[in-house]
Amino acid sequence: MKRSTFFPMLLYPTLLYPMLVALVLCSAPPLASAAKVGAAAPDFTGTASTGKTFRLSDYRGKYVVLEWHNNGCPFVRKQYNSGNMQQLQKHWTSQGVVWFTILSSAPGKQGYATAPEENDYLAKMQAAPTAALLDPAGEIGHLYDAKTSPQMVVINPQGVVIYDGAIDDKPTTDLNDVPGATNYVSLALQQAMAGKQVETPATRPYGCSVKYADATH
Amino acid sequence: MKIPATHRLSNWLLLSELIGGCRKPRKPSRPRKNRVFEFCLEGTRLQSRRKSSKIRLCWFRRSVLVRRCRRDHIRKTLRDALCIEIKMRWHSPSSTFYGGLACGAALLLSAASAQAEGTPIPHGTLELIARDESIAAGHTLDLGLRFQLEKGWHIYWVNPGDSGEPPRVQWQLPAGLTAGAMEWPTPRRLESASIVDYGYEDTVLLIVPLHAAASLAALQPVRLGAQVRLLVCSHEMCIPGKAELSLILPIKSQAPAPDTLTAELFAATRKSLPRPAAGNWRFSVADANDSFVLTAEVGHQITQAVFFPLAESQIENAAPQKLLAEKADFRLTLRKSDRLLKPIKRLKGVLVLSGDQAFLIDVPISKTGTARNNSGDGAH
Repeated sequence: MKRSTFFPMLLYPTLLYPMLVALVLCSAPPLASAAKVGAAAPDFTGTASTGKTFRLSDYRGKYVVLEWHNNGCPFVRKQYNSGNMQQLQKHWTSQGVVWFTILSSAPGKQGYATAPEENDYLAKMQAAPTAALLDPAGEIGHLYDAKTSPQMVVINPQGVVIYDGAIDDKPTTDLNDVPGATNYVSLALQQAMAGKQVETPATRPYGCSVKYADATH
Repeated sequence: MKIPATHRLSNWLLLSELIGGCRKPRKPSRPRKNRVFEFCLEGTRLQSRRKSSKIRLCWFRRSVLVRRCRRDHIRKTLRDALCIEIKMRWHSPSSTFYGGLACGAALLLSAASAQAEGTPIPHGTLELIARDESIAAGHTLDLGLRFQLEKGWHIYWVNPGDSGEPPRVQWQLPAGLTAGAMEWPTPRRLESASIVDYGYEDTVLLIVPLHAAASLAALQPVRLGAQVRLLVCSHEMCIPGKAELSLILPIKSQAPAPDTLTAELFAATRKSLPRPAAGNWRFSVADANDSFVLTAEVGHQITQAVFFPLAESQIENAAPQKLLAEKADFRLTLRKSDRLLKPIKRLKGVLVLSGDQAFLIDVPISKTGTARNNSGDGAH
């Protein structure tokens, strides 16, 4: 049974226009081509927290990792508080991989951050992505059909998605589960760089749902 | 959840009124000091706490006001707390003593009622209960994890859907007792933008059968322990939680008597569990290119059908399930998940018809999609 908290919002006129816009935007059916493993990665342009613009197709010829992020989600915190995500970012960017942290939370929702807030967070956490792309409208998120945070997408130098799914195989919020977990991102990159077939190209991403703009539940 | 009669504040107040006599406090001729004691006690929440109610307790000439605080101003400091504000009017120096007495009594009451409720989890409570009052050797006893969640918060089904995690239990059981597979009630579709999860809101009882070996001797009562890790989410955020639960039950050789408090709850939950489909119903699943088409011959027209897959990453949870209903059968189109890379042989899950009839089905997937006899008996 679908429950809707939509109706009370209509009582507030100031929220009507955004609601109508959101209705129109979300009436489109989900994209069938979203981030299918083996298919071409959809191109996008994103603005980083530093103000610089990044375009995916500019990085053809390099491996690209997309990391969906929400700093309030306990699953994301597990990766950051243990230092695991930062260590992955540092290691792979030093190997020439381009790492984009993407924030697709809508304004006012958990995980949303303004540019200065995100820069503070990156500094505090000592995170080392190539850039943190701010996507409050959820465009990049919807383009890749990102469902959870963290969710990881790995794109090869030919622009094809070679991995889409969870960061590792321990879907818990316990920090103790980080050391022993099999990291699917590292595995995919290692295997692809060695010229081998990626063994686990897709897994169910675990985490909190991405807080897109038009939530009805 | 009912508070035991001995713990209700109203009963205690009635008693004290009888002892002390109740007089309306007179308006003081000169300004008196009003001392306000406010105690916030951590405990599990009581059921009716929407309004703050004033209860006047009269004790001789002193009046002590006991009032349930509104949650707002204590929410930041303590979750699930019962706040008792005690206002004292000075009539004599010994009013402090009575104030202390009232506070102490309130403290005891709160602690006692807290035990009756269950272990607190984020935005709810969790209890380990049993259907019977004892364990019988060689028989199976139904244990249950009873979740009571605040409005707007939910936990997840065995297949949580696009996000979230189901509750996981680790049992600490003595020798001779083994826990069977959890029996999950029919989940609900929890939709949020392009993300669909499967879970439960409000209250739910997850049944776990406990098998007792026939060789189990009727020794001392045994302690059944469960460590539950869970995720409680609203549509805004998720909070992980952990609960240590325990239940002490005696082992008896004769047939156990059902626990009057819980037996009804277990019976109602068992009735609502998804059940195997009728023997004469026929199911088949055809593997179309980007979707599975479930065809069911059920003998009457269906107006609503929803399928909940037991395994993750098989169907696209957010995609609408198109229903084509005929007089005696129907077809349900289920879009395949983008993550389904290897072909699967069977489709297992819960099929909910007309909103409330839930059936467990286990159907082989065929290319041609011809209906097979007894392929939908859903034996598990």
